[in-house]
Amino acid sequence: MTNAFGSVLELLTRQRGVRSSLIVSETDGLIVDATLRFGEDGDRVAALAASLYRKARLSAAAARLGDVGFLQLDAEQGRICAVGGRNDLVLMVVAEPTANVGLIRVELLKALEAIS
Amino acid sequence: MSSDIQRWSDELARNPASLAFIDLGEALRRDGQIEVAFRIARRGLDRHPANVEAHNLMARVAVDRKDLVSAAEEWQMVLRLAPDHVGALKGLGFICYQEGRLEDAERYLNHAASRGGGPSVTAALDSIRRTSGELSTATVEALAPSDPQWLFADLLVDAEQTSLLLDESGYVLGGLYLDADGTDLAHEIGAQLSGISDEAVRATRHLGIGDWKSIVFETEIASVAMAPTSNKGLLVVAASRATPLGLLRRLLDQCAARATRWLHDGATR
Repeated sequence: MTNAFGSVLELLTRQRGVRSSLIVSETDGLIVDATLRFGEDGDRVAALAASLYRKARLSAAAARLGDVGFLQLDAEQGRICAVGGRNDLVLMVVAEPTANVGLIRVELLKALEAIS
Repeated sequence: MSSDIQRWSDELARNPASLAFIDLGEALRRDGQIEVAFRIARRGLDRHPANVEAHNLMARVAVDRKDLVSAAEEWQMVLRLAPDHVGALKGLGFICYQEGRLEDAERYLNHAASRGGGPSVTAALDSIRRTSGELSTATVEALAPSDPQWLFADLLVDAEQTSLLLDESGYVLGGLYLDADGTDLAHEIGAQLSGISDEAVRATRHLGIGDWKSIVFETEIASVAMAPTSNKGLLVVAASRATPLGLLRRLLDQCAARATRWLHDGATR
């Protein structure tokens, strides 16, 4: 880890069941910083997650629901959780299906405060 | 064109002042030709502004067009002309129920029941009294029969809950998406969400975490949950921020089961 976001990502990755954590620019889908599992293509994960988050934000805007905060995608063998809404940065984690999402959500929101 | 539509169309062509427009409009809306039905109803109302069934037709077409405000106005007009009109009482009862005005809904349905509204109205009243507003599927379907926009109505017990079923292209198949002002945003939401399934599929495939099952996100004033459907479409459920996420997920599961059944029934009809 090479920059100021490192400690935030480290805290996220320590959560039980978290495989990877990333800070991504929502606008262009590029990684700002990340802790990844060996062999994982962070660039692609970041781009896909940013795109998902952007779509959620656009749909919320269309529904006049305001800014998007926490987002969670559940799949058969894993989860993606993300928070954003401030200064273009989206924090996201990839987790096991057994991970405690409630706890991850709290830590993501805390981490968002820390980097804002 | 169905034989009914052809028959009533011919009748109206022979005699433009006839009341055949009512049957024609009804046949058109049942055939899914909502905008044509709307024009026929409007033209008929211009000629027959005091005709009760013309206003009733316009109200039904307004519901098809997801314009609940106009539908309520037309049914109110029906009641001014014919205070015991059962169709208008049922329609207003249903709109009030949709808006969470359960006392008003009960009042209209009581009135309809006293005028021979039938077992569907009695069952709706029983359900409202017994379960604080939760209507059975059969009851809701009886009150608002063939309109897919009411597909999830009995599952959404809070006025701030809303649900929408989209096809693969983002077109609305069923349900409603009302904002706080009662405006239907279904098509805007559908357009915005089209493609989100593809994004989810790509993300989960790349990560090797299997098929995606749901997406939940929180906004400043609501929580939104989505799930894929059996026709590669998307189910969307939204509720106020006060609704716990766990409860929202249960609601999503219930709506998903309903959507699956409805899609299956539609495929086998």
